[in-house]
Amino acid sequence: MALLLDWLSTAGILFIVASGLLMIFGVMKIINFAHGALLTLGGYTAYVVTQLDLAPWLSWPLALFTGILVGMLIEQFVMRPLYKRPLDAILATWGLSIIIGQLIVMTFGREVKFADTPLPGTWSVAGMDYSAYRLLLILVAVVLCAALTALLSGTRFGVKTRAVIMNEQLASALGINAGRIRFITFSLGAGLGTLAGTLITPLSSLDPAMGIPWLVTAFMLVMVSGHSMLSLMVTCVVLGACQMLVSTYTTPVLGGLSIAVLSALILRIRPKGFAYG
Amino acid sequence: MDNVTVAAPAGAQHTAGTTKIGWGVPILIAAGLALLVLGPWLFGGYLLSILIKAYFFAILAVTVDILWGYTGYLTFGHSAFFGIGAYAAGLMFLHQGFSGGTIALGLVLAIVASAALGGLVGWLSFYRGASPFFATVISLVLPIVATQALLSGGTWTGSSSGITGYETFAFSLETWYWISGGLMAVVGLVGWLIVRSDAGRLLTSIRDNEERCSYLGINVPRVKIILLTATAGVAGIAGFGYGSFSGVVAPELAGFVLGTELIIWVALGGRGTLWGPMIGAILISVATAYLSSSIPFAWQLILGTAFVLVIVLLPQGLIPLLIKPFGLHGQAGKIPELVERAAPETHAGTGPTALDMQGVTKSFGSLNVLQGINLNAEAGELIGLIGPNGAGKSTLMRCMSDGAARTAGSVHLCGRDIERRPPEDCVRFGLGRKFQNANIFETLTVAECLRMAGTTLEKPALFRRQPQLALPPYALEVVRKTGLDAKLGTVAQDLSHGEQQALELAMVLGLQPKIVLLDEPTAGLTKTERTQIGDVLSSLAHKYKLCCLLVEHDLDFVEEIATRTVVLHQGEIVMQGSFQEVVNSDLVKTIYSGAHPAGHEESN
Repeated sequence: MALLLDWLSTAGILFIVASGLLMIFGVMKIINFAHGALLTLGGYTAYVVTQLDLAPWLSWPLALFTGILVGMLIEQFVMRPLYKRPLDAILATWGLSIIIGQLIVMTFGREVKFADTPLPGTWSVAGMDYSAYRLLLILVAVVLCAALTALLSGTRFGVKTRAVIMNEQLASALGINAGRIRFITFSLGAGLGTLAGTLITPLSSLDPAMGIPWLVTAFMLVMVSGHSMLSLMVTCVVLGACQMLVSTYTTPVLGGLSIAVLSALILRIRPKGFAYG
Repeated sequence: MDNVTVAAPAGAQHTAGTTKIGWGVPILIAAGLALLVLGPWLFGGYLLSILIKAYFFAILAVTVDILWGYTGYLTFGHSAFFGIGAYAAGLMFLHQGFSGGTIALGLVLAIVASAALGGLVGWLSFYRGASPFFATVISLVLPIVATQALLSGGTWTGSSSGITGYETFAFSLETWYWISGGLMAVVGLVGWLIVRSDAGRLLTSIRDNEERCSYLGINVPRVKIILLTATAGVAGIAGFGYGSFSGVVAPELAGFVLGTELIIWVALGGRGTLWGPMIGAILISVATAYLSSSIPFAWQLILGTAFVLVIVLLPQGLIPLLIKPFGLHGQAGKIPELVERAAPETHAGTGPTALDMQGVTKSFGSLNVLQGINLNAEAGELIGLIGPNGAGKSTLMRCMSDGAARTAGSVHLCGRDIERRPPEDCVRFGLGRKFQNANIFETLTVAECLRMAGTTLEKPALFRRQPQLALPPYALEVVRKTGLDAKLGTVAQDLSHGEQQALELAMVLGLQPKIVLLDEPTAGLTKTERTQIGDVLSSLAHKYKLCCLLVEHDLDFVEEIATRTVVLHQGEIVMQGSFQEVVNSDLVKTIYSGAHPAGHEESN
């Protein structure tokens, strides 16, 4: 039972962390390397909220708002000139992550920090006590997945976005403002990144480099899953299980590597990942 | 193969991109070498030891530049090979002691282990149809796996603190300075010779246009794997040197952060220049060593900001900008001399059928784009493939030239079954394909593009540039008729549309193909150019006995030159025969939905 809950919450956390990256990759075919730094930024938002003695819940909307704001700035000033050079766009986002990371270090220092949990204690599931916050994250992941799927497939914005994904030239010719779609998706993706950072912070400590290990994992999950939120969820559940089994039965070190290595092998055998098939 | 000089090179014609090399280069090289020799008398001990490390990093930066700047493979993981080299030194000297034997063994191990890992990573990263993103993704995983492996090595690898306190070379700082500087100079020189050579053009071609490379018969994945293996080996040597000098090796040397720092050095220094990344690596390493104690965070912030600005505003990097006044910019080599390569023997009608397609079908799910295509073509035939839009003409061409394209059926080129083979194998069987849009190497000169076409016939020189450029007679004819022989030094993207089309045709003919596929060769050409192409194609078929197949909408053009006309409609061959038979048949009139054949109507 504990194993099952571990598995589901691991998958949920993976989904939360990767969804913002997928949002941006899906529309722009650009990997946002600043995602790791955005996670860190979200984590420090939670820390600020804790320091100010505000209700820990407040960190969620605050992080989302900060991320969207940062995303808007990045899109306007850095990404816009680089859409024709996708590999350079990746590099520029890496440079941005250095900048964000250093600004965080200069503001908060290098020391490990902690943030309050919005939901302390445990809940009892089938006669067993389990961390309430981890259970909450499963719920958050499901809600997030449903909301994003609804946004991308049910709304006008979603239809336009899919039009841009499929054929940007045609979409532009039909009067869809592809630039604005990109602007919105990038900002939203960045916001999801910081939100994810806030959400995962109570599970561990906080330091300026906390985003980097997550970045690679999230990156591989997105590459394997293609461009739908549902397939990302499936990927997270499958690979989350692998990670958990490997960590439980061998060493956590191997567990941490399992997602990256497995994804690389999956992509070598099925270059298009799970999405088409 | 006897080569006969037929055209004098346009020696006086220094077109764009072929400015003369001024005094700037020798002066800069001399200054650099002087610093390498005189360093120990100019610099203090602290700076000297920083420079020694910086030189090892500079070697690594050069290998990354060859991979990324020249070949277009963005890698974040080259640090892993450096780390392996460093650990080979550390582990060997710590566990086996320091002696002549362990030095040699350690060095061999550094090279072999890094090169083997490079080959493995290459196999994982480069295969047919792999996206460039994928290779970059693998390069991200590599240093993370490498670091974790080192961390989990327990006391044997020293875990997170690494290993230290092993005995190593008792050289003085001066000696180390000369060793590392000398090694860097040698690597730089060899790298420079290779990227300037004919083989080096291959790397740029891969960066510019992988599809064209593959349709010139070049096995792109194999070239990339070999390149990664070789650069990994060099990185291993640099790492071995670093580990031997510093006496400390830590997992960070194989890590992701160093891998990304390398990219920053190369980008700021100027990708695709070799010396730019070298200088970038040295200057930034030295600056980091001095500034990270006084303004640690601000310095990283400045680096990050500079990196973003350079990527957005100055993709060529900073140092080329500073050096421009020295006249180093845009140095192109001598223009080679055009010579004729003896045409291969032609025996029309004796060899196997040039093209033989049986029951070829292509479907996307339940939609059949092509079904049951049986088509034969002999040497000396000039076949016009016509049909309305969406009839499957282009798909049919793809099925002839790429074994993976069709769903069912068989294709034989000159008697050889193409099975599921990639385009480069089809090219080796005797196929040449000209695309509808000029598919050339945009940043190469005309001469270099033409040279690439001969890669399968003459192994390109690894360290030199051939002074002569050999082409078969019919390719020479195209080059001369269209005036390209006067523009051999011009960069391909500066040519007009018609010239680019002619260049691509000449490249395809340079392969000495037995079957030539052309997709709408007259689209967008002027009347004169159209006549020229017509003459060339006729002579290919009739004089040189090549088998030519063209997809064409211009029915007048087909009437003028084709010996046989094949009509494709809704994925099936509905008719074939002489042009007159075809256009006068009721069936074809119905297909083109009018009483008169469409092409005639338009042009009359």
